[in-house]
Amino acid sequence: MTRAKQDSCDVAIIGAGMAGMAAALFAAERGLSCILVGNGGSLLFASGLLDLLGVHPVAERRRWRLPYDALVALAREEPLHPLARINAVSIRSAFQSFVAALGAAGLRYAPLGERNRNVLTSIGTIKATHGVPISMIAGADLLDALDARPSCLLVDFRGLREFSAAQIAATLGDRWPRLRHQRIEFPGYEAAAELYAAHLARALETGKTRERTIALVKPLLGDARAVGLPAVLGLARAGEVHAAFEAGLGVPVFEIPTMPTSVPGLRLLAALEAAVSARGVRRRHHATVRALAFDGEGGTATLALDGAAGGVRARAVVLATGRFTGRGLTADRRQIRESILGIPVHQPGSREFWHQRDFLDASGHAINRAGLLVDEAWRPLDAGGEPFWPRLYAVGSILAHQDWMREKCGSGLAISTAWAAMQHVARQLRGTAAG
Amino acid sequence: MSSTLFQTLLYASLTLCGLGLLWRVSAWFRVRIGPDAQEVTPSQRVATLIRGAASALFGRQLFRFLGAFFLDVLFLRRLYANEKLRWLGHLLIVVGFTVLVLMHALAPVVTAKLFPGYQPTLAPYLFLRDFLGAMVIVGVAMVHYGRWRRRNGFSTTRGPANAAFMVLLTIVLASGFLLEACKIASPRAFYRMTEEYIGSTDPEQLKPLRALWASEFGVAFGDLREPIDPMLVEQGRELHRNACAPCHAQPASAFVSYPVAQALAPVMGFLDRSGADAWLLYLHLFACFIGLASLPFTGFFHVLAAPVGLLLNAAPQNLVLSASNRASQRALALDACVRCGICDVRCSVAPLSRYLGNPGLLPSHKLIATGALANGQLLRTGHEYDALRAADGAFLCTDCGRCTSACPVGLDLEDLWDAERGDLAAAGLARPAQWVQARPAFTWAESLEIDSAKRVISDADVSRVPLSADRSVFSRCVQCQTCTNVCPVVAHSIDSGHGVDLTPQKVMNLLRLGLRDLTLGSRMVWDCASCYQCQESCPEGIRVADIMLELRGLAVQRLGSVRSWRQPS
Amino acid sequence: MKYALFLGCKIPSRLPAYETSLRAVLGHLGVTLVDLDFNCCGYPARNYSRDAFVVAAAHNLALAERAGLDLLTPCTCCFGTLRHAIRFLDEDVELRARVSQALAAEGLAWSGKTEVEHLLPVLARTVGIDTLAAAVRAPRTGLRAAAQYGCHALRPSDVTGIDNPAAPTMFETLISVTGATPVDWHMRLDCCGDPLHEANAPLSEHMTRAKIADALESGAEVICTACPHCHLRFDAVQAGSTDPAIRTLLYTQLLGLAMGLPAKSLGL
Repeated sequence: MTRAKQDSCDVAIIGAGMAGMAAALFAAERGLSCILVGNGGSLLFASGLLDLLGVHPVAERRRWRLPYDALVALAREEPLHPLARINAVSIRSAFQSFVAALGAAGLRYAPLGERNRNVLTSIGTIKATHGVPISMIAGADLLDALDARPSCLLVDFRGLREFSAAQIAATLGDRWPRLRHQRIEFPGYEAAAELYAAHLARALETGKTRERTIALVKPLLGDARAVGLPAVLGLARAGEVHAAFEAGLGVPVFEIPTMPTSVPGLRLLAALEAAVSARGVRRRHHATVRALAFDGEGGTATLALDGAAGGVRARAVVLATGRFTGRGLTADRRQIRESILGIPVHQPGSREFWHQRDFLDASGHAINRAGLLVDEAWRPLDAGGEPFWPRLYAVGSILAHQDWMREKCGSGLAISTAWAAMQHVARQLRGTAAG
Repeated sequence: MSSTLFQTLLYASLTLCGLGLLWRVSAWFRVRIGPDAQEVTPSQRVATLIRGAASALFGRQLFRFLGAFFLDVLFLRRLYANEKLRWLGHLLIVVGFTVLVLMHALAPVVTAKLFPGYQPTLAPYLFLRDFLGAMVIVGVAMVHYGRWRRRNGFSTTRGPANAAFMVLLTIVLASGFLLEACKIASPRAFYRMTEEYIGSTDPEQLKPLRALWASEFGVAFGDLREPIDPMLVEQGRELHRNACAPCHAQPASAFVSYPVAQALAPVMGFLDRSGADAWLLYLHLFACFIGLASLPFTGFFHVLAAPVGLLLNAAPQNLVLSASNRASQRALALDACVRCGICDVRCSVAPLSRYLGNPGLLPSHKLIATGALANGQLLRTGHEYDALRAADGAFLCTDCGRCTSACPVGLDLEDLWDAERGDLAAAGLARPAQWVQARPAFTWAESLEIDSAKRVISDADVSRVPLSADRSVFSRCVQCQTCTNVCPVVAHSIDSGHGVDLTPQKVMNLLRLGLRDLTLGSRMVWDCASCYQCQESCPEGIRVADIMLELRGLAVQRLGSVRSWRQPS
Repeated sequence: MKYALFLGCKIPSRLPAYETSLRAVLGHLGVTLVDLDFNCCGYPARNYSRDAFVVAAAHNLALAERAGLDLLTPCTCCFGTLRHAIRFLDEDVELRARVSQALAAEGLAWSGKTEVEHLLPVLARTVGIDTLAAAVRAPRTGLRAAAQYGCHALRPSDVTGIDNPAAPTMFETLISVTGATPVDWHMRLDCCGDPLHEANAPLSEHMTRAKIADALESGAEVICTACPHCHLRFDAVQAGSTDPAIRTLLYTQLLGLAMGLPAKSLGL
C-alpha cells in the first residue's frame, strides 16, 4: 500500500538524450547512484556517428580533418563555447569512456584516433565525423582511398523507400566511377509493398534470412572490393550480422545510415539503455518533470513527475533537457525561457534579432546560440550571475554559445560537457558527504 | 372420487409424462450446438451413448459409474462442495418428496405391502406425512433463500413453466395439509366413521367418545359444551379402544396439520357443510396429476437430465471428448441446468455484466441464449437486440472455467460456450475483431458517412475516448516511423502474407488529419498485439497502443451502430 | 510479506501448475498469500469500452484495499491491465467519479491505496536476490534458459515500471540465481503472439514460431516464462507440430527445483 513511492539518489538527470545518457553513464562510473528521467526518443534521430567538431567557424563553413586542432582554434576564437572550456585530455577520456561503454553493450566503434573520418550518407553526400561504428568503417576506408578508384558494389532492397543505391551512385558517379549498384528482393518480404529498415534488421538476425540474403548478393559481387548496404545489418546482434556478411561475401561490408529515424539510431538507443541499465542507473521513462524544488542550500532537490511514477529526491540535479525540440527551452512571442525552472536564458535582446534575414545565412542565427550560461562548474546562473542552486548542473545542447548543428559537434558537446560536469558533481558530492 | 375417473386421470397424466419424457430425451440427440455438432447425426449420437452405457455396465468402468451414482447423483457432492445451504435444501426436498411419493402416494402398492397393518391414520404415518411435507417446504424455502441471496439485479432466468410448476407444488402441499386438517377436525368425518364401525351417529349415545375425540383427537364438534368432563373422556376411552384405536392414533403428532385443524375449528361447521374434504382431495389429486403430466416440460425435468449428465461425466475420457458425445452433452446441459445461479456468482465477468447492464455475460443467461440459438429463436426477426447482447456476452467470457467448476450438476460449460461462440460466428455474430475486419476500413467509413446522424460524437463519448479525440496529442507526431519500425505486427504481417492495411504511424497520421473514422475498421487497429513497443519507443511520448485500444472501443460502438449483421458482408 | 493473490482467469483453469508452484515457492520464502474473491482483471473489455475495463479492474483493487493488502499477480497480462486501470483512474477525474459510482453500487470503494505487484519484481526486489540465493539447494547448473519477459511486464514502462524496458536484466538475474544460464536471444522482448490469436491466427502463429526459432537458434533449452498467456501460447503452437520444439518452464518451477522442492509440489 505504498503507491506514492519516492526514490532517492545522488544525482537525478533530467533528459535522456545523448547528453543525459552520457551523464548517467559517467555518474555511474564514478560510483554515484543515479536516476535518469525521460525517454531516449531523440536518440532515434541519431545516425550512430559521433561528431566531435567538424566545422569552425560557422560563417566560413571551414571543415576540419583533425578535430583536436579545430578545438584549439575554437578555444582561441570562441572562448565562451562550451567545448572551448574543456581540455583535450578530458574530451579524449570522455569519448573513450563513452565508446567503451557502447562497445560493452554490443555496439562497437572503430578506434577513435585523432582524425575525423569521411562517411557516405544515404543521399550520396560525404560527411566528416569522429566516431564511426565498426559496421560503417569499411566505407570510410574506401573514401580515404578514393584516388585509387576502388571497385565497390552498393546494394539496396526493393520496397525500402528511404534508401536508393542508384541515387548514391548517381551523385558520386563523377568522383567514383567504379561504384556499381544493384537492387534485390529482401528474402521473405517479396510480397510486401513497403519495407521498414528495422524489420529487415531484425529479420537478418535469424540465420536463415541472413544466409539467403548473402546468397542473393554474392553473385552480384563481380570485382567489387567492398559492398555497401543500407544500415539494416541487425539490431541487438549487429556485430554478429555484420561479421557474417563479411565472412559470407569475402569482402569488407559497410553500412550507410538511412534517413532518420534509422536502425543505427535504434542501436545507439538500445546500447545506451543497456549500458546505463548494466550500471544500475534507475530509469524513469516517459516521465516529465512537473516541478523541481530545492530544500535549502545544502539540502536536496525534489522532482515531482507527471504520471503515477512517484517523485525523486536527489542531492544533485543535472539538466540535460536539450533545446526547443527536446523542450528544454521554450520560445514564446517575446523571449526564450528555460522550461522547468525558468532559469534566465542568454538570448538576443528581442525577437527581431533571433534570426538573420536570410534563413540559409552561412553564419547561422543568433537564436541558435541562445541557451543557459554556466559557471566554471557547469552550474546555470541566475539573473545575478550566481549559481541557481549549488548542485544544479546543465549539460549538452541547452548551453549557450554553441551552434552544434552547424558546427557538427552535437555528440562532442553532449559527451564532453556531461564528462566535465560530472567531474564537478562527483567532487562536490564527495565533499558534502565527507562534511 | 370415482376410481374410474381417478384411474383415467392417473393413466392420462402418466402417458403425457411418458411422452413428454421421450420428447425431451430425444432432444439430447436432436439439438445441435456447436459447429462440430453439425457433423454428427442423431443416430451416431444414440449409438455413442449406447456404447458408453454398455462399457459402463459390462466393463471395469462399472465402479466409476457406481461411484458417480452414489457420490454425484445421490449425495450431490458437487453441490455440497459449492453451496452447503442449497445442498441441504435440495436434500430435504429430494428425501421428503421421494418418501412422500413412496409412502403416501403409492401407499397401496408400497407401504401397505411392506407394513401389513398400514393405515394412514396410524402413527408414525400421521407424523411422517407432515414431517415429509414440512421437509419439502423447508427445503424449497432454503433453495429460494439461497437464490434470493444470489440475486444480481437481473431478471430471473427461469421461465413461466417453472413458476407454474412451483404453484402446482404449493397447491399439492397446501391442499395436503388442509385436507389432513379437515379430516382431523371434521365432525362429519367422525360420524361417518361411527356409523360404519359403531353403527350409530347419535350425539347423545356417542357422548363419551365425542368427549374423548374432541379433547384428544381434535374433532371440532360445534355443539359440544366446554369444559369437557374428564370422567366422560375416560368412559369414551373404552369404546375407542375397541372401535377406533386399531386404525387411529392421536393426531397431535401431525405437527402441521393438527394445529391447522385447531385453527379451523371455528369454521369447521361451514367447511363440513360445503364438502371441503372432498374438494380438497380433488384439488390435491388434480394438482398431482397435472404436475406429473407437466413435469417433463418444466425445469424439474432436471431430475432426469442432471443425473444422466453426472453419470456421463464418469465415462472414459475418449468417449466424453468424442464429438458425438459432446453434441449430446451440450443438448443435455440445456435440460440439466436448474438456473440455480451459483455459476453467475462465481462468474469472473459478473461485475462487468452489472456495469454494462448486460446479463448476457452471465453463464445462466448464456445457457438460455445457447438454447435459443440452437432452436433458431434467437436469430428470428425482432430478436436482433437480444442476439447482439448474447454475442457480447459470449465474447467477453474469459474462459476462466469457474462456472464449470462451480456447476452443481457438473456441466462442461466451457465446452458449451466454445460451441456457442462457434454458432454465433456462423450466424454472423462473430467477435468484434472478426466482424469489423470482414469489411475494409474505407467501406466502414463510407457507411458512417451515409448514416451521418450517427457520426456526431456526443461530449460524453469524447470524455470516454480522450486520447484519440485530443488533436493536441497528434500535433506532436512528426511521422518519424519509429512506431512502425518497432511494430512486430507490421514486421510479421509482411512476410507471412497476412498483412495489415495501415502502419501505426499512418493511423496516427489519419487521426492527426481528423479522419478518425477511416481508422476504425483498419486491420492495423484490430491486429494490434498491444505489446506497447510503439508507445514505449515514441520519441514524442504519444500513447500509440493505448490509442489503438481506444479506437477499438470506439469502433465497436460506432461501427456497431451502422452494422447489419444479418446481411452477409 | 503478505499479498492478496490475483491469479486471473487463465491460471486456475488452464495452467494450475503455475498456482501450485507459486504457492510452494512463495510459501518457502515466507511470503503469505491471501485469497480474495477476485473477478476478471478487465482485459477482455478493453476492446469494448475503457470505462467497462476500468470498472472491472477497480472492483479488484477495491477488494484488495478492503482487505488492506497489496495485490500480487503472476499473470503479466493481468498485471498490465490492473496497472493501466490505476493510471487511467489517476489521470482522469471524471472517469474516477464514474467508476466510484459503479463501485459504490456494489458497496465498494477504492481510494487509491492498493499497489499492484508482479511476481518477478516481488521475487527480485522484495524477497531479494540474496534471499533467493540462500534458498537455492540444488542449482540447475548448465540449464540454458531463455527469459520470456512478457510485454506487459515491461511496457509501457511508466505504467509497469518493473525494469528498464529497453534493456531489462531482472529476469536474467532471477534465472542466474537458480544456477541456470540465461541465454541472450534477440527476440526476448517481443510479443509472444497470444493477443492476436483471435483476431489474426496465422499472424499470431507466425510471431510465436519466430520466437521459438530464435530461442532455439540462441541455444536455449527451455523458454522460461512468468505469464500464463505466453506459456500456454508456446505450448499450444508447438503441440502437434513437427518443427523443432523447445520446452517451456515456469519461473516458479525453475526456482522451486533449484530450491530442492519436490517436482510434484511444483506441478511437474
